[in-house]
Amino acid sequence: MKQTIKNILLIALGIFLLSRLLNGTLSFYIHPRFNGLTLLTAVGLTALGIGYAIQQRRQAAHAHEHSNEHDHEHAHIHSHDVSWAGLFLLSLPVVLGLLVEPRPLGASALQNREINIGTDVSLTSASAPEGSELSIVANAGERNILDWLYLFQRSTDPASFNGEEAHVIGFVYRDDRFANTQFMVSRFTVSCCVADAAPIGLIVEWPDTAVLTSDSWVEVTGTIQARTFNGIEIPVLVADSVLPTETPSQPYLYQ
Amino acid sequence: MAQIEEKPGERPFTTPPLTHEADKTAVSARNFGRILGAVVILLLLIGLFPNLVPGNLNERFQTFVTIFLGIFIEAVPFLLAGSLVSGLIEIFVDKASLARYVPKRAVPAAFVGALLGFAFPVCECGVVPVTRRLYQKGLPVSVGIAFLLSAPVINPVVLASTYVAFGWGPVLIGRFAFSILIAFIVGLIFQFAPPQEILLSVDDHSHDHDHDHFGMAVGNGRVQRLWQAMTIAGDDFIDMVRYLIIGSMLAATMQTFVPQSTLISFGSGPVTSVIAMMVLAFVLSICSTVDAFLALSFVNTFTTGSILSFLVFGPMVDIKSALMFLGVFRRRVVLYLILLPLALTMLITIFINLNLGW
Repeated sequence: MKQTIKNILLIALGIFLLSRLLNGTLSFYIHPRFNGLTLLTAVGLTALGIGYAIQQRRQAAHAHEHSNEHDHEHAHIHSHDVSWAGLFLLSLPVVLGLLVEPRPLGASALQNREINIGTDVSLTSASAPEGSELSIVANAGERNILDWLYLFQRSTDPASFNGEEAHVIGFVYRDDRFANTQFMVSRFTVSCCVADAAPIGLIVEWPDTAVLTSDSWVEVTGTIQARTFNGIEIPVLVADSVLPTETPSQPYLYQ
Repeated sequence: MAQIEEKPGERPFTTPPLTHEADKTAVSARNFGRILGAVVILLLLIGLFPNLVPGNLNERFQTFVTIFLGIFIEAVPFLLAGSLVSGLIEIFVDKASLARYVPKRAVPAAFVGALLGFAFPVCECGVVPVTRRLYQKGLPVSVGIAFLLSAPVINPVVLASTYVAFGWGPVLIGRFAFSILIAFIVGLIFQFAPPQEILLSVDDHSHDHDHDHFGMAVGNGRVQRLWQAMTIAGDDFIDMVRYLIIGSMLAATMQTFVPQSTLISFGSGPVTSVIAMMVLAFVLSICSTVDAFLALSFVNTFTTGSILSFLVFGPMVDIKSALMFLGVFRRRVVLYLILLPLALTMLITIFINLNLGW
């Protein structure tokens, strides 16, 4: 009984990983560079479950033929007994995964991280070390939020970007510290899995923030202005239009 | 009268925690599982009836699940690989040859343990089942501990990723030198403790396997032995994955409820930055193969010593690996395995911050 449940759970875990990989939601959890590894794991876990099942059937047949005197010989090849608690734990990734609709980290996670907009250096924790190779996207309209922050951090004269056209996608984040005409268009950067997700964002000036729901994805078009917050020059996006959009299939930005 | 009234009032408060504390080793894994089960059922209920909890908590639960699955999915391939290696060791490495290659004297033995990672390239999840298997094959405790602590860093994959992130410099050299040094020292310290006080008692199955190992070699040959190795690998995986799941859940809980930015903003001094980065490494529980890229993002805001502490301490001990240690060692030993690397890493990196202008 327990053995059967164990086999089913292993196969279920394999299929769960595979399905997340196939429908693209795996990228809500880890960096895409792990896709191949996850595929291998899914196959491995499924094979393990099936292998155990085959073995048990063989053993059952085998035990039938022989008398009890060879008992110890069967014992070895039998896989171990698992406790109910162990089985329960093994079921958790699949159960929780199915219970909660797959969604990328959003504004609520950002709230928990208590990110301090504009003045806190951790806002730009995606900062590149001096002299690192980074290809800045040349076309201003194609730069994402991370590109803009990089650009500002590495530039000696951020004001030179004033008036450049920007077009970025992110989720809406607002809290009490924002003026009525401001919100933040945000993304998470991920270098490995969501455990290391760091929020970044551009402050957007937009008169009509009341209609925006926090955590919804928007496409913001406008022009960049350099503003000084506590001695740091940060980019502010003066919006011409803010349009609702779908959650992108790659919700995180990768450094 | 007054005395009698006082006693029953006090008892429920004082006695349960006392027995808990005093009898740490006696609290069985099953009890631990039950407590955990209760917590998990509570979490599941929250998941099933989201309307019963305030909206904010519901969102946090979602965040928790996402982070939990992130850590778990990222770690599980490495655990599987480690279990596979463990299964192969069980079948294809015999005690005599292991004993022949491991030095007898304490200092060279611990040193070999610290460098063993090059022979078994595994990261912090994979290293635990491999170490456990090597112990069953008679590996000295000190060598195993040195291996356990250093292997997540001392291997080609981590060497490459650290080089890509930081290039040739103090961070790369320091990471490897100090990881070896600390693993070596902690291994040596454990040299003096009797093994039965360190390791969890091994159940009969290692004996069993030795037995078959014999019978199988005579019997059905290579295919059968591989089959057997797979079974053992599967058992190891299922055994360890419980700890991984509990560890990932703890790490995800910490991440969901402990504000990270407070931690980060708190550390800029030579001492506070080290503490902040070590706490961060412990809480984040990310894999040693990729942590260099994350550390890179802290370079501008944190001292070199603290970056080093993140890169040295994190792979040795974090929430999820500490939980997995519980499958190999006694509880008190796990505590030492956290505290010793912690103290040594702090000592070294704070010294660097204060005295060397790296």
